Amino acid sequence: MPCLPKVPAVASEGDFQPTLRLHALSWLFGLSGAIKQMVLPLIALLFFNVRDETPGPFGPWIVPIIVVLVAVRAVWIQLTFRYGFSPTGLVIREGMIFRNTRHIEYARIENVDTERSLLHRLLGVAEVRVQTSTGGKPEALISVLDLAAVQRMRERIFAAARSVEQTAATPAEDTLLHLDMGELVRHGLIDNRGMILVAAAFGVLHEAGVFVINQQLVDRLLHSPSAAGLAALGLMMQIGLGVLTILAAIIAVRVLSVIQAILTFYDFRLTRVAGDLRARYGLFTRVALTLRTRRIQAVHQNESLLHRWFDRVSLSVDLAGDSGGSEGNGDNSRSKTRWLAPVCPASAAPKLIATALPALDLSTEPNWQPLASGARGRVFRKTLLWLIVILTAPAIWYLREGAIVIVLGCIPLAWMHAHLYVKNTRWALARDAVMFRRGWLNRQLTIVPRDRVQTSSIESSPFDRRSRMASIYVDTAGASPLSAGIRIRYLAADVAERLAAALYRTAGVTN
Amino acid sequence: MAPLQLSHVDSAIIGVWRWQAAIATLIVAVATFAISPSLPFLWPFAPALVVIGGIFLSWWWPSVSYRHLRYGVDETGIAIESGVIWRSRIALPRVRIQHTDVSQGPLERRYGIGTLKMYTAGSRHTKIELPGLQHEEAIALRDALLAEGAGSGV
Repeated sequence: MPCLPKVPAVASEGDFQPTLRLHALSWLFGLSGAIKQMVLPLIALLFFNVRDETPGPFGPWIVPIIVVLVAVRAVWIQLTFRYGFSPTGLVIREGMIFRNTRHIEYARIENVDTERSLLHRLLGVAEVRVQTSTGGKPEALISVLDLAAVQRMRERIFAAARSVEQTAATPAEDTLLHLDMGELVRHGLIDNRGMILVAAAFGVLHEAGVFVINQQLVDRLLHSPSAAGLAALGLMMQIGLGVLTILAAIIAVRVLSVIQAILTFYDFRLTRVAGDLRARYGLFTRVALTLRTRRIQAVHQNESLLHRWFDRVSLSVDLAGDSGGSEGNGDNSRSKTRWLAPVCPASAAPKLIATALPALDLSTEPNWQPLASGARGRVFRKTLLWLIVILTAPAIWYLREGAIVIVLGCIPLAWMHAHLYVKNTRWALARDAVMFRRGWLNRQLTIVPRDRVQTSSIESSPFDRRSRMASIYVDTAGASPLSAGIRIRYLAADVAERLAAALYRTAGVTN
Repeated sequence: MAPLQLSHVDSAIIGVWRWQAAIATLIVAVATFAISPSLPFLWPFAPALVVIGGIFLSWWWPSVSYRHLRYGVDETGIAIESGVIWRSRIALPRVRIQHTDVSQGPLERRYGIGTLKMYTAGSRHTKIELPGLQHEEAIALRDALLAEGAGSGV
């Protein structure tokens, strides 16, 4: 794997000094980025120092002091940052005392992606990520440059790369998916991100002590004319009002989600340029990303209950090297999920998947295989056990004798879950890919090309061995450890064995 | 392709594991002996439990887990089988190895063995360890795995 930049061949390369500087207002973005990361601790600090009788060191000045220190650091970074175009590559020098010079060959640079928040757009600047083929983590994060500088950088880098590759002029872009307002509204309704906003707002208000019950306030409310009027209403009216309030709250949350969806994905456009995919979206924060098809490791399709009501699915991909993206590098990119389509008509999904994985032959329906025959019983027992463990104590607490109804009610529920789960969970091994779909309420499909499989492992717990089953885990690059790869549980042990052996053989020869 | 022939690692690893468990037991036991007399309900049971558990972990467990640790190498890559209660067998094609380490702790050095660590670009199994190889053998295995594996992307 070509991890390190090659030693420059040109003799003059060694003493090339980058001279170009960041935009004059770069420190502002460094500062706001740092503050965004520490906003919660800062608020907490402010509260504690104001509320307590014994303030911490520096008293109420602690927060301004921290902000000034961060600002000084941001200015320092801006003043010491240099970049330049040497004959063979992009050179970036950071720091003055601990100096770090990075050399990125033009030929290895695959994309120059930009992300622009509202502030960036007001000032006509952009945050630039230089991506190479080695990893998905940007090789360099340049924050910020003005647009003309970005354009010059693109021209310089890709002119050099083109002359190396001898390719023709920029090929035409071909729009694969464009989300109009209707789709965005649908996405908001399905996604329900507003719930998270409401939960976060609740958390902040709670921390701020808004919910501490104030006896006087409650008394005043209870004795106010409107409360008296409420008490005078009949029971049905009261229930009606309650239902209306809940409905209004649900609608408000959905409206928030829709607004969030429109802000995030406004004018989402997925295009194909010379075999690679390019996604652009955002109302205030414009994101422009290139998804190199040869870096795509897996495609995930998600279909929740709401998705099915609207006949929609969502598609995302794993890109090589993304997994390590969270640490260091100052890269707080909000685009952690690499969307192929946050929402798209179910009928359009196969075509998009085929575009994302051009090497695969997805024209024929794969030969879907069921789980082991004893899987339903095991899922049933496991679900039942968990339901009982979780529900028994609260049920006895609230219902006393009625608890037995709840506990007995778990049995059909667990059976239904086990039946539907096993019925809808299938795996398939095609000639060039391994596929897995699972779940009944929330259906997910994962496709991993066989030449992208990193390792395969067979795992068996004591329960597995008792029923001659095993689970198989297929690891891929570029995902978070929680969502990575494919894990198929409840396979017959011999089937798992054969599947692992097949994957091991192909992973070993390809690529 | 014939299924991989799996073989055991060097049995000296049992000694290493026994020492490690014994040292850990000693530390925990000292702590429990120091704390528990002040908590009357813990007194005779907690230290006794620690000592019995420690003896079990230091004497019996290493040999059991040794019996379940096997590995095999073929032209495609390496497979490692491990675990006593939760068993797993991981198959790692050599083209997927990004880089390798051979490491040796003080106890391992005393017994002349090393641990081979293989790193992949995967998301969960990023580091795969094979303990208990003779140090020279670990280095030879590393060289063998790297010999043809180089030059692949992710």
